[in-house]
Amino acid sequence: MTQPNYDDHFDAIVVGAGLAGSAAALTMARDGLDVLVIERGRSPGAKNMFGGVLYTPTVRELTDLDGAPLERYVAERRYGVLTERDETAVSMRPGQWHEEPHNDSYTVLRADFDEWFAEQAQDAGATLVTETTVTGLLREGGSDRPTADGRIVGVETDRPDGTIRAPIVVLAEGANSLVSERSGLKQRDDRADVAVAAKEVLKFDKETIEDRFRVRDDAGAAYQYFGTGAVGDAFGGGFIYTNKRTISVGITYRIEDAASGQTPQDTLNTFKQHPAVAPLVADGRVVEYSAHAIPEGGKDAMPSLVQDGAVIVGDAAGLVFNNGVHLEGTNMAVESGYHAGKAVARALGEDGSVNHSSLRDYPAALADSFVVKNLEHYAWFHETAAEDRELLFDRVPKALAEAETEYFKMDRTAKEAHADRAKDRLLDGVGGYIGAAKLAWKYRRMLK
Amino acid sequence: MSKAATPGVPTVENQTTEDRLYTVKYTDHEDSHLGVKVPGICVEKCQQAACQTVCPADVWEKQDGDAPTIAFENCLECGSCRFACPENNVHWEYPEHGTGVTYRFG
Repeated sequence: MTQPNYDDHFDAIVVGAGLAGSAAALTMARDGLDVLVIERGRSPGAKNMFGGVLYTPTVRELTDLDGAPLERYVAERRYGVLTERDETAVSMRPGQWHEEPHNDSYTVLRADFDEWFAEQAQDAGATLVTETTVTGLLREGGSDRPTADGRIVGVETDRPDGTIRAPIVVLAEGANSLVSERSGLKQRDDRADVAVAAKEVLKFDKETIEDRFRVRDDAGAAYQYFGTGAVGDAFGGGFIYTNKRTISVGITYRIEDAASGQTPQDTLNTFKQHPAVAPLVADGRVVEYSAHAIPEGGKDAMPSLVQDGAVIVGDAAGLVFNNGVHLEGTNMAVESGYHAGKAVARALGEDGSVNHSSLRDYPAALADSFVVKNLEHYAWFHETAAEDRELLFDRVPKALAEAETEYFKMDRTAKEAHADRAKDRLLDGVGGYIGAAKLAWKYRRMLK
Repeated sequence: MSKAATPGVPTVENQTTEDRLYTVKYTDHEDSHLGVKVPGICVEKCQQAACQTVCPADVWEKQDGDAPTIAFENCLECGSCRFACPENNVHWEYPEHGTGVTYRFG
């Protein structure tokens, strides 16, 4: 196969055409840089999966969302806590979410969306090569051992004569950041900080989705589930999202819990058969099964974002946010790609020289953005909730179910007695008034 | 994981992992992109077979006293095994030249 010679032709190389990589490529191309994006899949998105809801404030800032392959806007959010057979849920349908731009919350499928977003970068002038895997970084002086300290000056790929030199490399290689790890730019995440997710895309006719989820037209639903009925004894949750003519159903929980014997397959099967979930997902035809690891280490697990000649963005930088209520990552990928792209554009002088201190604008801008602010503000959450797993995901859901069963019990006893007993059930679950006060104090920061 | 049907709740026909994997589009590659770094570690140190229980695609099968067999052609490239192995004994590469999994939905 003859290859165009890309060596030394570009100002920047982006490793990976996911949302972080394409956001960086689009930003740099707009600022006049010659950008090469290298994607290992057959097309952008081919290797990617997520839940998923994409939050689009930054995407919409970067490009026109008209024509984007959006599935449905989120018109309802539901948070359900599940015991083995009960559900207690909060559902929200604010009228405002029906209005444009729909709170910038849309379900998408990555094969479509990532390909479209990469096209936006190409339209801005970026060059995309697919089916090409970056296998390592090139350093000044030649060697790329983890101990090497030479400046990064390009990439090695699996193509013949696949060495490509460029002043800056943007590493947007995703959760399995092999290149960054091998080059010593980051450590492999500890398994306690990584979750496994497995999901099915189920085909239904449009009317079935509209009826089951009480939506019409482009409106859709985003349901999140917690508790032993969602993921057994593991720390994690289940989800259901509506797409146009499919629904995405899946589970995600800590790899630590999977390693001790709870398989993703059994977890997904049990979740789908839960009495509150089965009516929503039954009789769908599986059109795709997918899985991925999710870096959930938060702020503490973030690597240094800038190296001499390289920046790290998106999942590769551990930019995933999970505080139980909000599950975000793709929006943070886009935001990080944007700030990295801006910093790279500023760092590259017109004479081709690189001002490495300007690359520091990237971590500074990211620290000022919602990405790092959210990670910092909720840094306490993951560990605290993991420690309280049994209380939060087993005892509280059971106490809620017992209390509501008692409160609404129909017999010939006066309601006051039922209300008293319901209150007792709740207090038993959280360890009395003192336990309830402790819990409220511990998690008060959720509302701050 | 079969449960007795609950009255008023539809029964969900869950597929086997094998059937689920039939829904996934793959491009074959001859050489395995997965492996174990040191087979002896699997034989002597492995207690959990974490690679096997964490894998959503049944790629890894660990038999007592042996290194695992690896059905690499089923791999969804999720990377979970890479993190799961407490001995860090999983060798994991990206399949080359666009081979491996190609999600049509994602």
